[in-house]
Amino acid sequence: MSDRIFAAVWLVVCLLLMVVGWGIQSEFSYEPVGPRAYPMLLLGLMLACSLAMALRPGEKADWPEKPVLIRIVLMILALLVYALLFEPLGFALATALMSVAIGRLFEGKWLHCVVGGAGLGFGLFYFFDRLLDVPLPAGLIFG
Amino acid sequence: MTTFRRLALLGTTSALLLTAASAFAEPPRPECIAPAKPGGGFDLTCKLAQSALMDTKLLENPMRVTYMPGGIGAVAYNTIVAQRPADENAIVAFSGGSLLNLAQGKFGKYNVNDVRWLAAVGADYGMISVRADSPYKTLKDLAAALKADPTKVVFGAGGTVGSQDWMKTALIAKQAGVAPQQMRYVAFEGGGEVTTALLGGHIQAASGDISEAVPMLEAGKIRILAVLADKRLPGDLGKVPTAKEQGYDVVWPIIRGFYVGPKVSNEQYAFWEQAFKKAMATPEFAKLRDSRDLFPFSMTGSSLDAYVKRQVREYQKVAAEFGLVNQAN
Amino acid sequence: METFAQLGAGFAVALRVDNLIVALLGSFIGTVVGMLPGLGPINGVAILLPLAFALKLPPETALILLAAVYMGCEYGGRISSILLNVPGDAGAIMTALDGNPMAKNGQAGVALSISAWASFVGSTVAILGLILFAPLLANWSLAFGPAEYFALMVFAFACLAGMVGDKPLKTVLAALIGLFMAVVGVDANSGVYRFTFDSIHLSDGIQFISVVIGFFSVSEILLMLENTHRGGKLVKQTGRLIFNLKEFMSTLGTVMRSSIMGFFIGVLPGAGATVASAMAYMTTKRMHDKEGTFGKGDIRGVAAPEAANNASACGSFVPMLTLGIPGSGTTAVMVGALSLYNITPGPMLFTQQPEIVWGLIAALLLANIMLLVMNIPLVGVFSRMLSLPNFLLVPGIAAVSTVGVYAVHATSFDLVLMVVLGVFGYMLRKMHFPMSSLILGFVLGEMLEQNLRRALSISNGELSILFNSPITGGLWLMAIAMVTVPPLLRRRRRKQALAAQAAQV
Repeated sequence: MSDRIFAAVWLVVCLLLMVVGWGIQSEFSYEPVGPRAYPMLLLGLMLACSLAMALRPGEKADWPEKPVLIRIVLMILALLVYALLFEPLGFALATALMSVAIGRLFEGKWLHCVVGGAGLGFGLFYFFDRLLDVPLPAGLIFG
Repeated sequence: MTTFRRLALLGTTSALLLTAASAFAEPPRPECIAPAKPGGGFDLTCKLAQSALMDTKLLENPMRVTYMPGGIGAVAYNTIVAQRPADENAIVAFSGGSLLNLAQGKFGKYNVNDVRWLAAVGADYGMISVRADSPYKTLKDLAAALKADPTKVVFGAGGTVGSQDWMKTALIAKQAGVAPQQMRYVAFEGGGEVTTALLGGHIQAASGDISEAVPMLEAGKIRILAVLADKRLPGDLGKVPTAKEQGYDVVWPIIRGFYVGPKVSNEQYAFWEQAFKKAMATPEFAKLRDSRDLFPFSMTGSSLDAYVKRQVREYQKVAAEFGLVNQAN
Repeated sequence: METFAQLGAGFAVALRVDNLIVALLGSFIGTVVGMLPGLGPINGVAILLPLAFALKLPPETALILLAAVYMGCEYGGRISSILLNVPGDAGAIMTALDGNPMAKNGQAGVALSISAWASFVGSTVAILGLILFAPLLANWSLAFGPAEYFALMVFAFACLAGMVGDKPLKTVLAALIGLFMAVVGVDANSGVYRFTFDSIHLSDGIQFISVVIGFFSVSEILLMLENTHRGGKLVKQTGRLIFNLKEFMSTLGTVMRSSIMGFFIGVLPGAGATVASAMAYMTTKRMHDKEGTFGKGDIRGVAAPEAANNASACGSFVPMLTLGIPGSGTTAVMVGALSLYNITPGPMLFTQQPEIVWGLIAALLLANIMLLVMNIPLVGVFSRMLSLPNFLLVPGIAAVSTVGVYAVHATSFDLVLMVVLGVFGYMLRKMHFPMSSLILGFVLGEMLEQNLRRALSISNGELSILFNSPITGGLWLMAIAMVTVPPLLRRRRRKQALAAQAAQV
């Protein structure tokens, strides 16, 4: 079933991209192939593959059970928030927060997660930014 | 401790005191943004500023190099103008290539007036080369062959159509009386691939920057037909004739320098400008610049600002002539 | 003779104190990274690459570090395969099949030591192959123009198609997705922006580091969350610490054959350690599984994939150093590492910067010895690290991966992109799309398209340039053979099996 859904979605994506791709044009064309032909060819092939997959789906994917799925969605959210807060909050604080959230998802005890998260955030900041000179956003605490 | 060393120490201390006096505005976390992946020309430019400003003790806080790749500087330009306009810590490297893209409207909605141009620290020059055993001995030979049959001379270079490398060949072709549309031009990824293709005989002529070509020239594998500079270059490269003296008026310098955000205060801007001015006056700087294969081109503050704006207008004119101006602009 | 002189010069580089320390450090980090489930050589190299650069290591030293990490990962992957039944990296999937049963039978020490030995032989054979073949190929490579490179790319994809046989449709679709992702960004020929949706962040294309870390690190930790309940039990290291003579003799032939096989698979662009170890395991099983011992703890089933995955890792340096074409996803990241230093791998490298090439080769030999020492007597040190709890390990992986992306692209956009690609990668992996063909498509995509267009620019649209030279002709023939021969062989084998069954009945 998921194969069919994926194939259908991908079919639509390919069609949309083909519409976008049709507009690609170089202002100054003298090269025999040009910038449009190759991506259109790829999209066409993907379209054909999606069609074939919709008609003849492969083996079933085993998606996780609902409670696990919820935790996976939570983890994706945690990572997204981490990516967005990385610069404004600074590395140390953002990492500590992310570590607590993900640690809890992996069934760590509150105390362990908080201590571990703080350790990771500040430890890695010190290690990378100060020791190895890899610039990281300092954010609220070090800035 | 010898007297000499004591004197030297005294000198450094007083220099430190002096800079401390003028450094009323030294930024706490100085940062040089190289708007490319590490290792390219922008990185080199940043490393030059880093060593120049830190070796001469003009900066007390360590200056870091960060990378912000994307569109020959477009990502960095937009980030600085939109998100960090008043960040006095950050100077951003630019090159002639950034200016050309800026001129063609490839930097998004911002234009040349949206940042404060700070300092140019050196320049490179364009060149046209062929394989050492090529029948083309001078730029005239190449131009004649091109005119006779444009399909026989395939040019290769490290940039896209509309890039600096392309412009150089297009300008030469135009002066040889061949329309750029007729020219066969192959875009490679970076100078290394071009050299390989030239040596393998897959292309007949290459356009690039002269600093990159020096090792191959010294190894005797290629011949440089012309350097696209106003006059011959200093040192060993003085043997290479300019395009101008062969009768083709094509000059193509690639300057390298820095800008800061549009809302950086005048004091901060002055601090940076003074720092670069002082650094570039030292003999150490000349050494550092030479070691990075750049030719002298020092300019700061308002004179640079005027130069950059003139250059961008110039590029716009050339691009319009070749029909390359972005329609959206 | 010249080769020996150059190798000597290489040792002069590799034996410098800083390079020795870096090789040791890289071997250690590599073993740890390879051992940790979820982190493989691509992650290790991708994460260390910006760090090596930030530490201002000279190019040969940085390359030695990354190569030692790469080789160390191929060693380390087996530890968790054997003790935990969770492959430490993709190249060690096959090792778990017989390694974990051996450990459960109380032979963990034997499994660990024989696999370390097999890894050592695999690497050594492949490095010797590298010394022998790389200079030969480098002499040739000036003849490679755009048309020849295009044919080589086609050959690389043909290798993939011929080897991943069971899900042809998904393999092709995954490769196409990878190829298409490589199209996004400024077109290297015309300078036109394609599929960037006016975002300047996409103007240089979808960033390689974000793709690699998203697909191989973020998607992996999502899978780890899913598997927390089912997670394997750590088998305590038990039994004899080292294999005996009988075991050594019984695996010798397998190890040698798998090493040579692994080397040649590694040399093929695109087919990496995963394919090599799978093929070595299958071949060994077919040749020796008379009593049905494979899958239940046969020592040859541990030795074969380990010899092959190390050999293929070293073999993938051959096309990288000579042609500038990565032989695997990890060497693709290393090509990126070299370009950080403005070094273009390829024919010029051997003549212009021999100290880098030969220094690397000599360092590989030294690191290999260090790894053998680390991985037999000291294996207990590493296996203890496996008991690091997930609630610390996973945030650590997430944070270090993010640092890796941020150090090369200091924008939040690439961080978000990394997460989005991670989710996409997770879904694809759940639906059994082979990620290796996707990443290969992404890495080779731009070269495939641009070389095709360059070739046609040179000939002004004349298609004959694509197959007229002897090299292009040969490559096309090999590509056709790659696609057609394996299915034919499979069919013949099936017929033979049927015939044998019929004869038994």
